[in-house]
Amino acid sequence: MKKHTFLLLVLAVVFGLTACQPKEKTSLVIFAAGSLIQPFTELEQAFEQKYPEIDIQAEYHGSIQVIRHVTELHEAIDLVATADQALMPMLMYEVNVPGTNQAYAQWHINMATNALAIAYHDNSKYADELTEDNWWEILSRPDVKVGLSDPRFDAVGYRQLMSFSLAQSVYKNPDIFYDFLEDQFTYPIRLVDMGDMQIIRIPEILETTKSSHIMMRGSSVALISLLEAGEVDYAFEYESVIQQHGFRLLKLPNSLNLGDPSLEEDYGKVTVRMDFQRFATVDPIFKGERITYGLTIPSNAPHMVEALQFIRFLYSPEGQAIMQQNYHPLLIPVVVNGVENVPDELQSLLDLP
Amino acid sequence: MKNKPLPFGFVLAASLLILFIILPVLVTLFSTSLEELLTTITDRDVAHSIGLTFLAGGIATSIGILLGLPLAYILARTNFPGKSLLSGIVDLPLIIPHTAAGIALLLVFGRMGIVGSPLSKIGLFFTDSLPGIVVGMMFVSLPLLVNASREAFSSVDPELEQVARTDGASAWQIFWQVTLPLAWQGVLSGAITMWARGISEFGAVVILAYSPKIIPVLIYERFQGFGLSSATPVASLLLILVLILFALLRWLARSVETN
Repeated sequence: MKKHTFLLLVLAVVFGLTACQPKEKTSLVIFAAGSLIQPFTELEQAFEQKYPEIDIQAEYHGSIQVIRHVTELHEAIDLVATADQALMPMLMYEVNVPGTNQAYAQWHINMATNALAIAYHDNSKYADELTEDNWWEILSRPDVKVGLSDPRFDAVGYRQLMSFSLAQSVYKNPDIFYDFLEDQFTYPIRLVDMGDMQIIRIPEILETTKSSHIMMRGSSVALISLLEAGEVDYAFEYESVIQQHGFRLLKLPNSLNLGDPSLEEDYGKVTVRMDFQRFATVDPIFKGERITYGLTIPSNAPHMVEALQFIRFLYSPEGQAIMQQNYHPLLIPVVVNGVENVPDELQSLLDLP
Repeated sequence: MKNKPLPFGFVLAASLLILFIILPVLVTLFSTSLEELLTTITDRDVAHSIGLTFLAGGIATSIGILLGLPLAYILARTNFPGKSLLSGIVDLPLIIPHTAAGIALLLVFGRMGIVGSPLSKIGLFFTDSLPGIVVGMMFVSLPLLVNASREAFSSVDPELEQVARTDGASAWQIFWQVTLPLAWQGVLSGAITMWARGISEFGAVVILAYSPKIIPVLIYERFQGFGLSSATPVASLLLILVLILFALLRWLARSVETN
């Protein structure tokens, strides 16, 4: 009997102790694109070491999902980083925080760039045949498993489709898009040819068919473990992510990788639209452009001061080095949108050489 | 029947716990209108997903019965060195976190895995496929069937088997005509628990098979991608179906007790 009482007491004390850990740290909530997970995790460690009073709580999702958490799910988020800066004006500038006249954001930093590429490994089927000129043909073979990320949720998701559409004019082959995508989904992804404009239309329900050789996940980084396990032969990823993981990398031509600022006009010939209401008030259109990451602090961020502190840390020599080591250098000099609304604390960033 | 006096506060503590369980269930159910529920039932993807989920759970349970009953019988009827180790192994899936179980299964059943690689040669794949779902469900729910069956077999008086044996019945006849008929309700209750546990699995399945989407994955995706209003009706529908199932299970279990 006594033994039981003792045991119960011990248990109560143990649970009690774990429950009331000292928690005086300020939490800084960061929502970021999945492709930033490696450099941002390192930044988090370095930042927390420097500022032990701050506890970073980071979540990584497809970029569309990141914004959704802010503007549709109304979560209290201090810092937002997406793989597509265009999502910010489109989805945050235009939408007000409920009960106020204040937009979710009125400025953002064009943080970094990237390029779309194909990740694969030594065991990928036809790996030895793969070149810059036949990748679309190899990826369309029914016995090749291809990992795609969901264009409804993720920026690689719509960008990889743009590449397929652009490939048609680059390789002068009007069948590339459908050779790859036809019969792969229960409701088709369609490419509408408007002459000088190509429009890709995404159905609301996007489900691969039973016989499909495509494996789809909610974000491009979710395909990493599938590549590692050999479940997919090829996947579309950003170059930074492929290098971070040490996969084999097939560079796409600049005309397709969305990474060359001088080709902005060509990229702009393709847009992706959703055939359904994805956001409560905005109907997003994703226009082909050079990949640019966006960074901002939502106007309703509970920990504005700490968020500003993080951005300054990111642009400090230490933060820049972390990004550089992860093959994802920051864009410097710093370019901002809505420069008149940028907080004073960040003005010094604009003077970085 | 007169109730015995209870220690002070027990009724309050118990009531709080019951409320803790029942409140979320009721709130979910009542947050969905009948109309939403009807649209959800007729939603092709939801119907398809429910069918797939129940089917995969059924296959997992069937394989579980085929391989699990012999094990349960061995554990109930024989003694051998290492028996407690063996029953410990049976319980292992109960304590392994399910996402970890999913990764372990992927390493074995994936295209490069020791089991998955040879089987892929004959066209059997375990990722993003029905077999993958079945494997995930089976792993996490097997202990429920094996343990329930073991208990059911144990509760059958060994003397009855002894009598049959002296009458010249073979071991197989004894199992089939004496033990199983007396234990079947316990076994069935274990099978239903396994099935119910199997169909509710998320973690292990999602790592092997994100799609075709079983209902827990579909609810998660709708919640993540389209929000609460899209996910709640599906959750309500699933709750209702599972409640009906559970009522059936309790009824079965009770008739076992009264026998």
